[in-house]
Amino acid sequence: MNLRQSGDENTMSRPCREFEPLLVLLASGEELDAASHENLTAHLAGCADCSAELGRERELLALLSEHTSEPDAGLLASCRANLEDALDREEEGSWWRRVVGAVVPASWLSPPPAWSAALLVLIGFSVGLFGPRLLRHPTSPASFVISNSADANASGVNANAPASSAPSSLAPASSALSALDLHTADVAGINVFPSGSDEPPQVQLQMRTQQPVTVQGTVDDDNVKNVLCYILQNNDRFGPDVRLNAADLLRARHNDPEVRSVLCHAVRSDRNAAVRLKALEALNGADPGDIMRQTLLDALVDDQNPGVRMEAINELRGMAAKGELASDDDHLLSVLRNRMQSDSSNYIRLQSAAAIRDLSGR
Amino acid sequence: MKSPGEDTTMGISVALDGDTRQAAAARVAEEHELVRKSQAGNRLAFEELVRRYDRDVLRLAMNLVHRAEDARDIYQESFLRVYRNLDRFRFECSFYTWLYRIVTNVGLDHLRRRTSHREDQAPVPEEAEGGTRDFFDRQPELSAASNPEKTLLGQEVGEKIRGAMKRLSPRERIVFEMKHYQGMRLRAIGEMLGTSEETVKNSLFRATKKLRASLDGIR
Repeated sequence: MNLRQSGDENTMSRPCREFEPLLVLLASGEELDAASHENLTAHLAGCADCSAELGRERELLALLSEHTSEPDAGLLASCRANLEDALDREEEGSWWRRVVGAVVPASWLSPPPAWSAALLVLIGFSVGLFGPRLLRHPTSPASFVISNSADANASGVNANAPASSAPSSLAPASSALSALDLHTADVAGINVFPSGSDEPPQVQLQMRTQQPVTVQGTVDDDNVKNVLCYILQNNDRFGPDVRLNAADLLRARHNDPEVRSVLCHAVRSDRNAAVRLKALEALNGADPGDIMRQTLLDALVDDQNPGVRMEAINELRGMAAKGELASDDDHLLSVLRNRMQSDSSNYIRLQSAAAIRDLSGR
Repeated sequence: MKSPGEDTTMGISVALDGDTRQAAAARVAEEHELVRKSQAGNRLAFEELVRRYDRDVLRLAMNLVHRAEDARDIYQESFLRVYRNLDRFRFECSFYTWLYRIVTNVGLDHLRRRTSHREDQAPVPEEAEGGTRDFFDRQPELSAASNPEKTLLGQEVGEKIRGAMKRLSPRERIVFEMKHYQGMRLRAIGEMLGTSEETVKNSLFRATKKLRASLDGIR
């Protein structure tokens, strides 16, 4: 490689100032908007200085590319080993955070120190004030298990799941759950235990009302279904993890009209994009109908999250390919054309065009 | 001209590949599952997430600081921050974007600390068996019969490039690295840095001009 004399710089041509930034972007492989690209291309055809500048930009980038540092395998391996050690130390140090976290919500654990101190004072004051009153209430330590399954197989995936327990024989499931006031209940957790066969998995819903309650069964059980639907319909009361699990489990009953309605509601209104996406995935393959079609179109037009819009267009394409969408549906075609022309995602624009082609081919 | 496997609808060329669509959706779903499991405390799931991206993170760190120990620090600090704050990730953006926000913040902090400590600017040879080894000496040989003169010239150019990169501000350097070595779009870089695409464009333009001014004599 030869090093040229620096004096040669004075003889170099200068690019046109108004096109300099575009030359940098073009050389770096950035997509220009159509108007800028056309303008620059036309200019380059007639301007030798700018063409030369573009060549120099590309040479510079090629030179820099030859001298990048690629991490060698040994360094990467040692970084991974160090990280594992650091994570082990993090886990050891976090036990006290878990103890506190069981009492204090996780989001309260990371405020500035002054807020943490104030919070601890408030908790201490509250315990002192209300503790004696609570201690005077009769306690019933037993937790009630409402189960429709005689063989609750507890070899589930959740490491914190309780040991296998034979269901207590209490009031029959349906009457016990009807007495459960969902409006004041809280779902503390959802455990899923695979059945190990073609049977649907066992679902265990741990709920808190005036007493701890566990609802257990498969998703075919209407009690389980009702609680899962309630979770999705009241997204301001339940955390995103619980809502995600609920949407995922309801997939098995997506042809149930009530479940389909709840999943469509979640697609439209859940504030968490992952839950909206999970609800869309749960609807995939459900019997097509107006509510499905409209939900997918609304998601494609209104959802701010590109992942959700991608799933919506994927499902619409699937429905179009199966002949489940009418080729003369003006609203559908209008939405697809709009997305094809104006969606910010290139993938969605292409898929919208393909969907239009699928429909017009029939 | 239409190529095999391509179709044209309304003037837009559509490359038809149903497998790509399904594969992309499956990857996103799989990653969401890994994130949720990690948030629930599954260490194996978190380590799987790390392995998906850690090579790229380390490459970015290496190209920013050019010192293995510093790159190791950026790597570790970034992934520890991810681990500690994973419960705050709400799927409002892709995990990749969120991770790189953290990595760029850690990288910027590191670069800013280095510019305020001038003694860290020069490469510090590391002791090894039989003598000292510079960063460039540790790069693997490209051919069994290496040309010493070519290697030396390559090292000289490499030193000049490193010197030119040090003249960039921390932000200009991060933008340039992410654009040219990570291949990211300017809008994505703006999301990761918490700034507008226009600001990122200006940073890239300034970085390129400075590098041209420093390296135009090299061909």
